[in-house]
Amino acid sequence: MIYAGKNTGILVQGATGSQGKFHINLMNEYAKKIGSAGVIAGTTPGKGGQEVFGVPVYNSVVEAIEEHDIGASVIFVPAGGCGDAIMEAADARIPTVITITEHTPVHDIMRAITYARSCGTRVIGPNCPGMLVPGECKLGIIPANLCMKGDVGVVSRSGTLTYQVISELTSSGFGQSGIIGIGGDAIIGQTFSEVIDEYHADGRTKTVVLIGEVGGNLEIEGASRAIELDMPVVSYIAGVSAPKEKRMGHAGAIVEGGEGDAASKIERLQILGIPVATRPSQIPELIREVR
Amino acid sequence: MKFREYEAKQIFRDAGIPVPSSVLITSPNEAAPALLKVAEKVVLKAQVDVGGRGKAGGILPANADNITSVAAELFGKTIKGLKVEKVLVEEALEISHEYYLSITIDRSRKMPVILFSKEGGVEIETLAKERPGALHRVYVDPSFVVLPDFIVRNVIGDAPKEIGKIVKTLYAVFLTKDAVLAEINPLVMTPKGVLAADGKIILDDNSLARQGISENRDLAPREAEAEKHGFSYVELDGSIGVIGNGAGLTMATLDIIAHYNGKAANFLDVGGGANSDRVMYAVRLVASMPGVKVIVVNLLGGITRCDEVAKGIVAAGISQPVIVRLAGTNEAEGRLLLEEHGYKMLDTMDLAIRAAVEVTQ
Repeated sequence: MIYAGKNTGILVQGATGSQGKFHINLMNEYAKKIGSAGVIAGTTPGKGGQEVFGVPVYNSVVEAIEEHDIGASVIFVPAGGCGDAIMEAADARIPTVITITEHTPVHDIMRAITYARSCGTRVIGPNCPGMLVPGECKLGIIPANLCMKGDVGVVSRSGTLTYQVISELTSSGFGQSGIIGIGGDAIIGQTFSEVIDEYHADGRTKTVVLIGEVGGNLEIEGASRAIELDMPVVSYIAGVSAPKEKRMGHAGAIVEGGEGDAASKIERLQILGIPVATRPSQIPELIREVR
Repeated sequence: MKFREYEAKQIFRDAGIPVPSSVLITSPNEAAPALLKVAEKVVLKAQVDVGGRGKAGGILPANADNITSVAAELFGKTIKGLKVEKVLVEEALEISHEYYLSITIDRSRKMPVILFSKEGGVEIETLAKERPGALHRVYVDPSFVVLPDFIVRNVIGDAPKEIGKIVKTLYAVFLTKDAVLAEINPLVMTPKGVLAADGKIILDDNSLARQGISENRDLAPREAEAEKHGFSYVELDGSIGVIGNGAGLTMATLDIIAHYNGKAANFLDVGGGANSDRVMYAVRLVASMPGVKVIVVNLLGGITRCDEVAKGIVAAGISQPVIVRLAGTNEAEGRLLLEEHGYKMLDTMDLAIRAAVEVTQ
């Protein structure tokens, strides 16, 4: 199991907003098709008692867990309330919390992730598309029609770029053992290396596809971890020709131990012996080479 | 969004961090009256947002005899491309020692970090590279809403105790302003005590609304206009206009253009749920940039409706060719509508981008 499985009951926080409703429906269409538990409860403060596509809505996470066995939560609440929603889920000891919301204040997220860790809760995101394990579960907004069951583990900081990569993989006959979007923000919960640990422990992943972007050095940490675990990795880093990322001033650049631009990141990956695609359509070919 | 020096110093002053006495002026005529309020000897500091301002001639000493002419000289300058429009008239300081102090966010550790050095006033990047041991780092658990004293002691070591109070107050500023950087460089020892001689604060762009800031003034006019429509937009200098959804996919589009030796004119991420109006506006915005010869639209997503996107492209009615790669729901309807109006829709991003590059060659 990678964070969640076939029998994981899913909670959606922010269930009655337009995004929440829309994606509860899509998640449960997929759950029905593959026979997984799917979304079994939702929350929106003040909207307890309502239903969204047959899913009961509660005022709070505490009320929801009294009635249901919940293994993971997916958060669609607006940015200003997102840190609070993560802490509410962690306080109720929900093991996995996936945060789809974008534009969240960075201080809220730092505090929420720290609190979640102290509760034993793992946070994926924010600003991410969530996760999908073909044939097992979908938590978030990754389009299920692009995916196919297999043994390639995808981990990515992007949203739509991930969809691009999945469709390249599927059309080349490479199914996926999991697709996990960890989010594009400066501060995120689960990182490449933690997701790679999950893929390794799960044992069904033969090759990892690591999709990165400009900024930070999480890709290098992740790649180093995969090498320690003896897991083959291929990578793609977006932003070689992109305008310079807005940096957190000079001090930020120092803390990151470099500027985190795509070109130097690619160079560091290549030094580690990891093949890096120059465009997404090249990824299947690189997988064939490392196998 | 960045605060300028005078704004950062006002925030420091309000919070209780000692700063030199100063007055902000917007014309040379105001300089002499400002000096009377400040000190006999002053420095005039151009309020432009560039690094290496002092070396570029943006900081000039002055006294009662020459203040008006020095001010006129400074207001006439352009520093690293920026015209001087505001000047801070600040008391000249007798400095016996300089320190460096800043608070920022460590992405890997997911927590704030305080950086302190007894060797301030220098380029901090140079110091970090050449003498990393001289730059002291202390990490802070983000759960603390007040900086604990033991952390303050760990930061300052044997430096004067009054610096400890400044560290504590700067941390409060960092939290209450939703900052991603709060920096004092240099923090100076003078006969009047320790003062923040220069300051910089960068706010988290996702927290501007709750800080009461309605507009991010770091954005260029067209970028600000694009932001109102929910687009991320950056202008470049090529001739291929780019519209994508999602930052990663849009960046990848730019990279593939470069791979085929083309030059992108811009980066435009329309964001999620692109409907016909948003697409129309995005296409017109990109087409309005001088030098754009062709536009490539690369949209992908389970929930993007291709017929809506096609409607927006057709409605924009621009003169340049538009090459489209769309994948999502109602693909066939979208393709039909585009082809009826003479637009090309290609099946993969590589094909679409290559076709766009060919138009410019």
